[in-house]
Amino acid sequence: MPLADARARVPELLIFDHDGDADTRLLAKLAEACERYTPMIALHLPQSLVLDISGCVHLFGDEHMLVQDIEDRFDGAGLSVQWALAGTVDAALALARFGLKEGAQAQLPVAALDMNDKTHRSLERAGLYHIGDLADRPRAPLAARFGAELVLKLERLLGQEDRPVNPKRKSAAIITERRFAEPMGHIDSALLCLHELFIEAAQMLEDRKQGARKIRMQLFRCDGHVAKLAIETGAPTRDDKLFRRLLNERIDTLNDPLDPGFGYDLVRLSIAAAESLDAVQTDIDGGRDAASDEAALLSQLSIRLGRQDVQRFQPANSYIPEHGLHARAALDYKDAFIWDQPESGAPPTRPLFLFDPPQHIKVMAEVPDGPPRRFIWKRVTHDVTRAEGPERIASTWWRKRQGHLPGKAGLTRDYYRVEDSEGRRYWLFRYGLYGTEKAQPDWYIHGSFV
Amino acid sequence: MNISDSIHRKNKGKAASLSLSSASCLDENIKKGGAILLGAQRFDHALRQGLPKAALHEVQAALKADTPCASAFCLLLAERCRLSGQKGSNPILWVDEKQSQRCRNLLYPPGLVELGIDPNRIIYAQAATVIAALKTAADAVRSNAVVSVILALSGKNPRGLDLTATRRLSLFARESGVTVFLLRDQLSSLSTAAYSRWQISSAPSRPLEANAPGHPVFDVKLLRHRRGIEGLSSRLEWNRDSRIFEEYAPDIGAVPAVSVFGTDYQEQRRRA
Repeated sequence: MPLADARARVPELLIFDHDGDADTRLLAKLAEACERYTPMIALHLPQSLVLDISGCVHLFGDEHMLVQDIEDRFDGAGLSVQWALAGTVDAALALARFGLKEGAQAQLPVAALDMNDKTHRSLERAGLYHIGDLADRPRAPLAARFGAELVLKLERLLGQEDRPVNPKRKSAAIITERRFAEPMGHIDSALLCLHELFIEAAQMLEDRKQGARKIRMQLFRCDGHVAKLAIETGAPTRDDKLFRRLLNERIDTLNDPLDPGFGYDLVRLSIAAAESLDAVQTDIDGGRDAASDEAALLSQLSIRLGRQDVQRFQPANSYIPEHGLHARAALDYKDAFIWDQPESGAPPTRPLFLFDPPQHIKVMAEVPDGPPRRFIWKRVTHDVTRAEGPERIASTWWRKRQGHLPGKAGLTRDYYRVEDSEGRRYWLFRYGLYGTEKAQPDWYIHGSFV
Repeated sequence: MNISDSIHRKNKGKAASLSLSSASCLDENIKKGGAILLGAQRFDHALRQGLPKAALHEVQAALKADTPCASAFCLLLAERCRLSGQKGSNPILWVDEKQSQRCRNLLYPPGLVELGIDPNRIIYAQAATVIAALKTAADAVRSNAVVSVILALSGKNPRGLDLTATRRLSLFARESGVTVFLLRDQLSSLSTAAYSRWQISSAPSRPLEANAPGHPVFDVKLLRHRRGIEGLSSRLEWNRDSRIFEEYAPDIGAVPAVSVFGTDYQEQRRRA
């Protein structure tokens, strides 16, 4: 119906633009809240959620009590829900869409097939109004007339063929949870509960000879909000004291603190990633194990400062200087790397600090392709007393289009180690070969030596 | 002034003598932790057998441009500390403030190798604020998982750095035996609880063939020491091959390298 007609009929009509993104966000939020029923949840845009409840029903009594619980909770959040139970995803989606209940697939209109309008119309013209009319017909003529897709969709609706649920989140190997009869209004008791859950999970891990690397926690508030916490550890662990410490660290560094609101009624802890961990014999005098201390410290710092801000260095397989800055998160670090050792007796040829990006400087040189004589950096003039170079570093011409042709390879850098009259040592480079690559090459400072 | 002295002077009596004994016990702790030797013998002798490991040391760059030099001094001391101790496999933690993405001045691992420092043994942490950096350093010192912590702070008066914070760090260091270096990029007379305070500036190197810049040379000056050592200053050259500091003597030429405990590391490397 056009807007003008609608307004003519209902003058006090309120009008809003359709905001598809907001709908999707709301649906994603609802999906999170529904994780209390099952870990297998898939979004079916634009307006449906698919819950795979196999094996989860006994927690609520039976299927209908589970659905009743869902209805009540959505009702509480001010949303009305149309639902259906079925053996396959497509059947359930179609039933819910047309407001029918389980086993009523035959009464669905052909539009439930979700083909294009033309197909629907031609089916109706042939006198086939309901899925039930199609169900007993031989498939081959249908496929010949309307295509194989229709047959596939029909079989899915009838539950003769299944489509796997593609869940929003990979389900964890170990899940422990606690449900409360009354919502719990205190953070401390929620944390205590998480601690207990971890001890339970640790026992399961011990049976499998594993330790947790990633721990995911969800606090379900009774009004549908879900608070999510995650902890990543530097080494597999089953140590509940360490867990408690990391959890406290996590809580302290949250951007928006936990708000229990009306209280949490379900607390869940899942081990999202585990690695093998055998029981370790501790020292007889209760000595501390340095490796596990280090892993604990790294986990703690990574939680506090952020995963990417606690790093360890990794050698780069490249001669381009700035690639050498490569560092990776300390949590991903496994074994020690082999570094190229310098020649004995030689002075350092690489700076201790590198500027990223290199900084532009003004240089005076005796000859245009010779070492610098004097340079101005940040408005300070440095007189060069000693210099060594050039160390010529070509660009990665093989990465460039037609880089093998002269003049297309990119600019070559000529590096000089220089020392100024104050005794400070710097790493400078001329960007481009004088004359052949560039008429007036620019100079940059790339690092400082000790 | 010694802390135990100040306590003693303030309140005389039983309580004072008690705290005195506990403080002297902590001093024992410092001694027991061992010491970092620089390698230059005159220097180590003047320091009465090196710098104690279980303590906080403050290293200040004479000028902002000397910061790389001061950083290197900290790193090299930390590396010597690591090589000489039993906890040789433990890492060194470097904590600094996060720099803006537009213009960064970053620790360069190939440069570490060139100084004889093993980059595998460095953890590089960037904190958002000075307070977070101090907290990170304190946790690392307490955890006993690292051999040394270098806390690099920039600016004249970093917000949060004060006597209390440094006192806390130095107490943790006493307990755990982890060496803490407080690295400042300029001279500052801010009172801290550091055991020693150093001023570092770069110095002209011994030229190599064809007037090429040579090995790292530092002008090292002791500004303050808990045990009252004064007026110690020298020009030191870092010898990467034996991993020691040597007294710089330009006139004599090459000084024979006497390794104090360099061989141990070479064997470690061979094994690795």
